[in-house]
This record gives sequence, C-alpha cells and structure tokens, in this order.
Amino acid sequence: MTFSIQGIGAVTPLGSNGAETWSALCRGEQATRTPFAKPLAGRHYFSCPVPAKFIAAAARQPRLRRSGTISLLGAAAGFDALADAGWSPDHGSSDRTAVVFAVCSSGINYTRRFYHEIVTQGAHSASPLLFPETVYNAAASHVAALLGVNGQSYTLVGDSSVGLGAIHFATELLTMQPQLDCCLVVGTEEADWLLADAFASWRMATTQDQFEVYGRAGGTIFGEGAAAILLGRSGTLAVANSSAGLPFHSYRNSESAAREMFGHLPAEGIPEIIVSSANGTFADEVERKVFSEFYPAVPVYAPKSSLGEALGASALLQVAVAGWALRHQKLPGTLGAGPKLQSVNRQTRSCSASQALVTAVGFNHQVNALNLRLAESPY
Amino acid sequence: MQGIDRPNRVLVTGLGVVSPLGANTKANLLSLLSGQDGVGPVGSFDVTKTRCKTAGQIPDEWLENAFPPGRVAKRLHRGARMASLALREACESAKGAKPELMVVGTTGGGMSYGEFFYRHLLAGQSRKNSAQLVGNYTPQKPIQDALERNGLRIPTQILSNACSSGSNAIGHGFELVKHGLRHCVVCGGYEPLCELVFVGFDSLQAATPERIRPFDKMRTGLVLGEGAAFLILESEKSVAQRGAVAMAEVTGYGVSTDTYHLTQPDPSGIGPKLAMQRALVSAKVEAEAIDYVNAHGTATVFNDATEGVAISDLCGEVAVSSTKSMMGHALGAAGAIEAAFCVLALREQFLPPNINFNEPDPSWKFVVIANTSRSARLSHVLSNSIGFGGTNATLIVKQV
Repeated sequence: MTFSIQGIGAVTPLGSNGAETWSALCRGEQATRTPFAKPLAGRHYFSCPVPAKFIAAAARQPRLRRSGTISLLGAAAGFDALADAGWSPDHGSSDRTAVVFAVCSSGINYTRRFYHEIVTQGAHSASPLLFPETVYNAAASHVAALLGVNGQSYTLVGDSSVGLGAIHFATELLTMQPQLDCCLVVGTEEADWLLADAFASWRMATTQDQFEVYGRAGGTIFGEGAAAILLGRSGTLAVANSSAGLPFHSYRNSESAAREMFGHLPAEGIPEIIVSSANGTFADEVERKVFSEFYPAVPVYAPKSSLGEALGASALLQVAVAGWALRHQKLPGTLGAGPKLQSVNRQTRSCSASQALVTAVGFNHQVNALNLRLAESPY
Repeated sequence: MQGIDRPNRVLVTGLGVVSPLGANTKANLLSLLSGQDGVGPVGSFDVTKTRCKTAGQIPDEWLENAFPPGRVAKRLHRGARMASLALREACESAKGAKPELMVVGTTGGGMSYGEFFYRHLLAGQSRKNSAQLVGNYTPQKPIQDALERNGLRIPTQILSNACSSGSNAIGHGFELVKHGLRHCVVCGGYEPLCELVFVGFDSLQAATPERIRPFDKMRTGLVLGEGAAFLILESEKSVAQRGAVAMAEVTGYGVSTDTYHLTQPDPSGIGPKLAMQRALVSAKVEAEAIDYVNAHGTATVFNDATEGVAISDLCGEVAVSSTKSMMGHALGAAGAIEAAFCVLALREQFLPPNINFNEPDPSWKFVVIANTSRSARLSHVLSNSIGFGGTNATLIVKQV
C-alpha cells in the first residue's frame, strides 16, 4: 500500500509559507542569525527566528490567542499544506482526517517561563495560563480543533528524526483504517536560548553566527518553524518507503544503524537526490560515510545551513524540500558546505529526478530515512 | 506496507508493572486485592507552597536493581529505572517473545533533569553535570536506556497524548498486530513524578490537598502518581508458533478528540463516549457485555462528571472503579498501568476497589466498587483514559 503527499506547507525563517521558503532556498538565501535575548551566565548563542508577521494570521484564531509559538507555527504550516492540496475542512470529514504531530522540545518558551516562576516566585505564583500550553500535544490539539477533527490526533516525540517517524505513523494509520481519507502530518518547533545552551553542553551548538556542514563539526545554530504534509491515498508524489526508525545505543553504533537505514531503503533503485540532516554536529560524519559508500555520485542537499536546526520540525522540512525538488526538478545549493563530502550540491541547479532519499541522524540516538518517488510528471 | 484481510487476534503474553502499589506485577496484584493506599507525602521536591502535598511515589530502593551499579547507571534518570524494570518483567513473563517494535506513552519523560539543569543555570552553578542532565531529560532517552538494558534494539514510537498516552500506545500496538503489520509489539508507558507537572496541576487547582476520592459526590481533585507498565502483544499465530501462554486478549481500541477546550472536557461526555463507542465497535461487542470499567476517574469535578455521564449513558449499572484512588494519576503511564490492572482483574476474577469512597453521586447509574475489592465473574473489561487536549482513548480486554 503506497500513500502520496497531496499538499506541502511550511513556515520558516525564510518564508511565511512553502512557496516563499522554496524560492528563498533556491535563491541561496540564508536565514538571519539573531542573538538570543536575555542569555544567562553570559553565554550567547544565535538562532534563526521566524518573523512574527509570518504567524500573525494564525495568532488571530480565537482558539490560539493564548497559545505558544509552537502551536502558531504548526497551525500556519498545517493550513498551508491544506491550501497546497486544495483541501478545505468540512464537518463531514471530522473522523476521516487524522492529525499527527512531531515535536522535540515542544513548547519550551512557556515551559521555561512556567518553571522560572516556580523557582523565582514560588509554586503558588506559577501561572495556570502557561501550564496547559507546556504539554507536548497542545499544538496537535489546537490544530485538530481548528480542523474540526473529532477522531485521531497523535503527538510523537523524538529527536530531529521524529518527523520521518511521524510520516511512518501516518502511513500505519492509513493502512489500518480504510475510513481515513488523509492524515495531516506536522512537525513544529520553537527556538529558545535554553535549548541552545543545553545542546552546547554536548558541544552540539555553536556560539558563532555561522556553522559548516560536512566540515568541522563545531555545532549547530537553532532555527524554528514548521512543516506539514497532507498524506493521502492518491497523488503524484508517493512515499515509497518509510520506517519507524532505528536506535543506536552509542556513537560507535550510529554508522551501522545509518547504513542499515539509508543503504537498504530504496526498493526501486538508487535515489537521484538526497536531502540530508547535516547540521554541523557528529551527524554529518555518520551521513558522509554512508553516502560515500552507497551513493557516491548522488547530489546531496543539506537545508539546515540555510534554515537552522529546527529539531521536531526539521525532518518534515527536509521532506518538504525533497517534495519541492521533485515537483520543480530543481535542487538548491547547500550553503556553508565544508570539504568532506564530494557529492554535496553547492549551487542551485536543475535536476532530472524522480526519486529522493531523505535522511535523518538524530542527536538522541535515532536514525531514519524515507524515499519519495514522483509517479508522473506534474507538468 | 500491506495489511491483511482477516484481522488477527491480539493476545497479551507478557506483563510488567512498577507502581506505588508494588515493584512488580505480583506486588501490584496483592495491593489491588487489599485496597492498599499508595499515596503519601511528596519527598523529592519542595511542596511547602503548593496546595497539594501528596503523591503516589515509588520508593527509590525498589528501583535500585534496574541497572548494574556503576558510574553510568548513576547518571540515568529514574524514569529509565522504572521503564527498565517493567520492561524486564514483561519480557521475562512473555518467555521468549521477540518484539519488533516498542510503542510508549509518556508526558514528562525525564523532565526532572531539565528542572535541575535550569536550577543550576539560575544559581550560576558549575556546568559540570549539565551534559548528564541534558542527555537524559528527553522522553526518548529513558526508553533507549531500558531497551539497551534489556538487550533490545528495536524501533520506538514515543506518543505524548497527555494522560491518554499509555492507552494510545497500547491501542496503536494492538492495531498494528491486529492488522498484520507486526507480529509482536511491546507497548506501554512510563512516567516519573516531577515538580513542574506537580505544580502545574496545583496551579490549575486540579490537585487536591485532601485524599483522592474518584466518583465521590464530595470529590475535590486528583493527586499525581508515577510508574511504568508494559504489555507484550502478539498475534495468535505467533503465540501458537512458539507455544506461549496468553494472559488475556485485547479486543478493542477507540479514540476521540474532544475539541471543546485544551484542559476541560465537553460536559456532555461526548468525548469519552465516542471513544468508548468506537472501542466497542472495534471489539465487536455491545456495551452490555462489559463487566467492569476501569475508569480514568481522576477525582476532579470536571473529569468525573464528564466520564460519569459517558459511562452511565453507555454501560448503565456496570461495576466501575478508579485505581487512581490507590496510587494517584500516573499521567502518560496511567493508561498502561490500568490496562495491566485490567489483565490482572480478568486473570484473578476480581474487581479492583475505588478507595477513599464515602458518598455516591446520584447522577450516575453505575456501581462504584467502594473501598474493598470483590470477587466477580469477568469476561470483558474496559479501560478509559482522558487527557489534556481532548484526547480520549478506550481499550477493551477480554478473558482467555
């Protein structure tokens, strides 16, 4: 049973929707790196924030008036994907549409604010308005409510590979439940200084305003945003393979796990483009070794050096990019590409591709991959 | 991905539970039979400024043997210890089952390490332990540790659907086996108590300074709990091939999303009612066939009113209890622990009690199993979970 991407949506530091984001990536734009406000302990980090105006429309929804950025991002991307598919919600489809969210740190701004109140003012002063928005499934709940979904709404939590797992989860739902027409899969994440500092303790976040992919693994810069795909039973862009992913228990095992996931995935031949998760951390080297072994001539595009590492959103952003690349037969150039991977695509160019491989090596010991296949030319 | 035309029977072949009522399944069973109260004063963080000061907690000494002693084990989150012990018991009781996938529910994961990290930051303390705290706070890390400890290297799906997470995890595992996408899945939930969530429920005035009294007319709110439980679900074919013994059969799963409000259920009861109806359809049984309902029963005014209406409307005079009365609300693990309790109730043919119960609420028809357990003939039991965000999940388990 094969399922297809019927709509792609996004809101990123480079665009208020998918079309703007794709155009900016193809023009070689890089998201503005802005220092986080209010750093603690004198430690400064940069991030790639989504401009507030990009989510202003979502923030006008009454249901979202008190919700955190993560929910606004998720809603904006979700509705963009629905618009891309030409889909409009109607009450007749309330139990025929499922919502699946992928998150990593989820509502970290509200969580930090809520806990800050506990620590600095005492538990009796903590705001009951903040707490509900700290739960992992708050964003999914809001989007389900906005769409009038009364059936299935799931939130999957994981590292930066979780978006691929969420797509697989959606394929499981569609396989098992014939009454479902489609599944809206959304990955969403907001940036916060706390996250950058936490990652810095593992040398995975840099204090600089630039980072290199497939070069010196000096740490990443966090982005934020959301990506969404509407997965249905027909369409021209098929999810040819997906997986729940594989764990690796230590860095030593990461390469074998990646080899197992990336190397044996394509069922119908070698992919013609790869959209990778390279982000300036240990993950780059894991991917580099496997790509060099299995796909030495396949061009690799790494979007995180343009958009930043958006964790729960990032794998779905990669899928969105792969989908756009196949639709438009064009592959953007990787910014800040180091010397270690020969096959990295450095300049935006036309490509003739019908299959794309999307890979993810997560910071928390998960690897995953999926294949997209263009069933027929959209033109 | 290809399903099958004729659905599989889904059998429970392994069970592991760690909760404030016991460090293993047998101890939990004895506590359920005796109506043990596992709630006590909170010891792991300051509660001087909260209204509620109690929770169901697992003593640290119960978790000591989860990992071999050593430097690495010391760093691991207690959520990893709970999950590892429950997983070990589930795998051992399944006697040779080979799970292909793990589906886990949780809401907070290793959140308390995130709290320590932030307190260290604010206090300007050294970053010496930062990497350890950060590395172990994510919801997936304790599960990775538990899998590694138990020699399993399998894909994992971590679901965080608030308080229905554990039931969702078992329900999804059930569907995968039923439809032939997997032969054997380990599924359940884990939830360690943490300050942020404790204060969160306190700030909403959902937590009570009194005893937790689900379905009592004078109920005043919930107390939190913690724990972990895992079930091994296998297709009948897989069970037959390896000559395993089934403990129970999962026959139904239903979900609904109540979009009324992020933290309050629709008072009409439509959310849980829809989940229960869908589970009954899934199990191909009528509501009259249900012998016992293990209710979500948090003892908040809103939850019990909503769930009470739904159970009453659908199942009439059925026997109902909330085992949260004994151990508190274990959030993302609650559905898994309560599903495990349902398996125990079916195997031992008894009704777990709803302790601290004084006065029935006349609005409902069902019979609350007040304060002491009872022997009963049980064939089908139903377990409800209701969560923030309007997530509702119902499981139906059958005697084999």
